[in-house]
Amino acid sequence: MIEFLIVAFAATLIYLSAAQRFRVFARFMGVQGVLIFGIAFLELNEMATGNLILVVSETLVFKGIVIPFMLFYIIRRTQVFKVHAQATPSFYILLLNAISLIVSVIIAYTLQNPFINIVFMTVALYALLSGLIIIVTHKLIISHLIGFLIIENAVFLFTIALGNEMPALINIAMLLDIFVGVLIMGFFGLRLNPDTGELTQLKD
Amino acid sequence: MELILFFSLTLFFALAIFFMRSKLFTRGASLLFSVSLIGLTIHGWMHIDESPVHFFTFSHEGLLLLSALALLSLPTFYHGFRYTQNASVKHFNIYHISMMALMTFMTGAYLSDSMTMLWVFVEATTLSVAALIYHDRTPQSLEATWKYVFICSVGISIAYVGILLLGFIYGRYDAANLTFDEFSLLVSQANPIYLKVAFVFVLVGFSTKMGLFPMHSVTIDAHSVAPAPVSALISTTLMNVGFLAIFRVFTLFSSTEILPFMQHSLVLTGILSLLIAAGYMLKAYHIKRMFAYSSLEMMGLVAIAMGSGKSGYYAAILLILLHSLVKSSIFFHMGQFKNVTHSYTLKQVGNYMKSYPAGGLLLLCCVVFILAIPPSGIFISEILIFKSIIAQQHWITFVVTALLLTAVIYALLTRVLHILFSDPAEPLTEAEAPGKARPVETIPQFVLLIIVAVLCFYQPDFLNEAINASIANLPK
Repeated sequence: MIEFLIVAFAATLIYLSAAQRFRVFARFMGVQGVLIFGIAFLELNEMATGNLILVVSETLVFKGIVIPFMLFYIIRRTQVFKVHAQATPSFYILLLNAISLIVSVIIAYTLQNPFINIVFMTVALYALLSGLIIIVTHKLIISHLIGFLIIENAVFLFTIALGNEMPALINIAMLLDIFVGVLIMGFFGLRLNPDTGELTQLKD
Repeated sequence: MELILFFSLTLFFALAIFFMRSKLFTRGASLLFSVSLIGLTIHGWMHIDESPVHFFTFSHEGLLLLSALALLSLPTFYHGFRYTQNASVKHFNIYHISMMALMTFMTGAYLSDSMTMLWVFVEATTLSVAALIYHDRTPQSLEATWKYVFICSVGISIAYVGILLLGFIYGRYDAANLTFDEFSLLVSQANPIYLKVAFVFVLVGFSTKMGLFPMHSVTIDAHSVAPAPVSALISTTLMNVGFLAIFRVFTLFSSTEILPFMQHSLVLTGILSLLIAAGYMLKAYHIKRMFAYSSLEMMGLVAIAMGSGKSGYYAAILLILLHSLVKSSIFFHMGQFKNVTHSYTLKQVGNYMKSYPAGGLLLLCCVVFILAIPPSGIFISEILIFKSIIAQQHWITFVVTALLLTAVIYALLTRVLHILFSDPAEPLTEAEAPGKARPVETIPQFVLLIIVAVLCFYQPDFLNEAINASIANLPK
């Protein structure tokens, strides 16, 4: 079951790399949040109640509900619905994504050890690279936010992959990370001009 | 217990400032906070190597960097009061609460004894710095804040993956909870490939804070618009946080077979940082950006020193400490510089020595000191770095470093001498008269420079012992 959810998570990454409309991005970020909740719930089977509440709030509440809601709000407010015309064409992003998947598989097999599920490792690395690819190839701030949120999800997957219990300190770190993500979206998503091409007042 | 008291006091001061809404009260609370930070530092030195609370320890390297922060805290608040004197009460209070938070988070990072705890504090510094960079509420400050928060968050997430990889090495779910001492006992069992990947992630991730290549641009842009006292901390004590994170991992892995890999990575990163710093300083148009690139150059030298080993380790820590004092003096002065010249653009400013002799003299001294010209203590650390490079017979590193440093010296000296003694190339059209500044404001900077000058000729035993204890776990 867990592996099914992990592969479904990887499928969302492939879909996100080819997506053109921000509503699709927002929906799939919600789907990723729910999938991560499922993975965490099934994998972290020795959690104390307090930790379980934290994990539920981090995944289902924040990643599954709050973040997609905020993304939809930003889309409505900024009236930006599609990726920038000058963004790298989807075909090339998809190609880069496929290469990053192959690279992730190679790295995961190279780093193979008895303590780690190789599918977990592959998909977490793939998510990290996918997030970075979206940030580098897209031109709008909202795309960059999506890339950042995917990286956050990758970090969360890495964390879950560590074992069947999530220490409180890691939970604090994850909560802080999510807080920063929400702050970035809430504060900058609405205040900045959506086009990153406009952010050139500070340069050499 | 004392550490918890310090964190509680910070929270108390922040809440009191929020509710009192008085500039006078904020000033008093800020000064009391600074006194409590100095008190914590003294307490730490009296309880060296003890753990005040789980996940924290009064280590030598942490306390050395904390001492630099404590020393700079009073001038930072003093210049902050001057910078924000015309701000509304709300913005004045937000600035000082953020400054206290930043200093507290940096203190937590210096004293952390666990990689995850260190990461938590580093991430927290990003939030407080963001509030400080945004202080002026201009479109430029919004852009700089966005770039800072976004790139730092991505970088720090990458660093966190590196930390989590440490957990994979041992197959222990609680690996991210382990203290550095506990990790050092396990490190010999690790697969070197994991260690290499973890080191690269940590180096790239924390280079956002240390201001090293490849994530250096984030701090450069922040400097352009940040208030002068904030630039002083971003360029010094905050970079030290990034350095400490990388130094801790380097020390942890130094007993394994990946030491040469780490050293080569650091030397390469250092040389690329120097190359970028020299290149951009030669075409600099903005004085704060120019000094920000000078910080990149210094961090590049620190990386090269770490990569060169032997006396380089000692030189790296000495350089980090002395750079903190000199570079903060420069950035503290930038507030006055702007008041007098009304611009940071190099072509628009000139005759600074004539219009403000105390400031001109200070700027000249600062540049002499940052370029490691005696009587600057930085001269000693740079000599040790070159000694270490030559001892390792890294001739290419030696030649490239020397050439790039020559370019940096040329770029910095020509531009600053132009500011001091020449007419501006493109005077401001409003024909504004030089603004007024109080020479008394230069006193804290001169005091910091005197300390650096004294350390050129005499390094007290306690300083030598503390630095040697910090690098005791590194291979000789």
